[in-house]
Amino acid sequence: MKILALESSCDETALTILNAQGNSLVLEKDQVYSQIDIHQQFGGVVPEVAARQHAETIIPLLDANIKSEDQIDYLAVTTGPGLITSLLLGVTAAKTLAYARNIPLVTVNHMEGHIYSNWLSNDDLVKNADKYFPSLVLIVSGGHTELVLMKNHGDYQLLGATVDDAVGEAFDKVAKLLDLGYPGGPIVSQRANNGDCSIYDLPRPMINSGDYNFSFSGLKTAVLYTLEKKKKLNSEDVDNICASFQNAVVEILLNKTMKATDEFAVKSIMLAGGVAANQQLKEALQQEARKKDLPFFFPEVKYSGDNAAMISVAAYYNILNKKNILAAKNILAASPQSNWRLFETKK
Amino acid sequence: MQEFITNNIKETNKVANDLATNLESGQLITLSGNLGAGKTVFVKALAAGLGISETITSPTFVLMKSYKVEYKKIKQLIHVDCYRLDGIEDVSDIGLQDFLNDPQTLVVIEWADKLDNLPKKNRIDVKIESLGQDKRKVVIT
Repeated sequence: MKILALESSCDETALTILNAQGNSLVLEKDQVYSQIDIHQQFGGVVPEVAARQHAETIIPLLDANIKSEDQIDYLAVTTGPGLITSLLLGVTAAKTLAYARNIPLVTVNHMEGHIYSNWLSNDDLVKNADKYFPSLVLIVSGGHTELVLMKNHGDYQLLGATVDDAVGEAFDKVAKLLDLGYPGGPIVSQRANNGDCSIYDLPRPMINSGDYNFSFSGLKTAVLYTLEKKKKLNSEDVDNICASFQNAVVEILLNKTMKATDEFAVKSIMLAGGVAANQQLKEALQQEARKKDLPFFFPEVKYSGDNAAMISVAAYYNILNKKNILAAKNILAASPQSNWRLFETKK
Repeated sequence: MQEFITNNIKETNKVANDLATNLESGQLITLSGNLGAGKTVFVKALAAGLGISETITSPTFVLMKSYKVEYKKIKQLIHVDCYRLDGIEDVSDIGLQDFLNDPQTLVVIEWADKLDNLPKKNRIDVKIESLGQDKRKVVIT
């Protein structure tokens, strides 16, 4: 079957055509039209700008990638969570096309998409997923920090989440405090590579909280206090602060993740979300997973940030499980759900 | 105008708690202060004062979050963060119009100083300033 997927929940407007047959996933088209250049001027995502850009890019993206004679079996679109103004553009485009051409529409949760980015980069997950369930998924991005137990396709339990700032947000805000620009993740990691993480003693909030929740707001504030004390900063200080900060973040994430692997007797660990691009985090998880003889999966960098390919794969497994499919007149009921919570806390 | 000097988070939380007990629906609370001043922490304490049990998380990325409330006539709390809104002046751009002055809603806006045209009616401004470590100056007007 051929699935055309659209993603427009935040920074990116993206389109994918997935050809899925049994255990074979082939991306026939995959384009991300990034808006990051525009957002850089503002130091973050500006929703109105985001929405206007989506409006300007989504039709040319469709025009360039699909012709009226092309056979498409399903349309898929991210309906939440995300920025309401941005979501609205993708959802409106997808449902208009689906309704006009009478193609069923699959409404996809953005977080589920992130989880399925792992299926794009790991063949064995596609072929032998059952072998790896239950899996422990750590989702880390600008808006989310969640530990999720994935029991099967579409069956999730939320183990813990941030009680204040998301990891990616903490990276962005620390970058802002250090005047390093946006987005904060790549630049802070890069500076951290040159730094010494033992120079600054930053806290590990909630590391011993006894649950699977996270807190990063206090860590950001600790960086602020460090800066206030220093007053003058040279380039080496910035490197060392970045290294200390990143080290604290990785230690917290690693600690909670590994604790959960024991408690829930998982058969694999997965990483997902924009912060999955962080090399130190990947290496640390890989190392710990190896000690426990657990397979560790992570998405390629191109699929860790927001993209439509992950949405198309999540749609495929929803279709196989007959979930979230709208057909004929019901297509018109598709609407953005900016607070869509996919994961149940208890089951 | 009220000014508080607080020596730790507990004391700052008490200021927020006390403020919460006097709030009415239809009001707008603006919060300003630098990165790390404790705006979200203040909102957490405010929400606790309103009897909200759900965890208040930073709305920086998603911009706007809503929480159910049962306190006097207040039915919902709308928590807005304008941190990423440099260059946006109009409250209608972020869909705030629907919530301001709604008789069942309390709106709290962080980084409100980035918005120019907020209504003055029913508005309480909270300024938080860090005086080093956990010491804060909170000015409520």
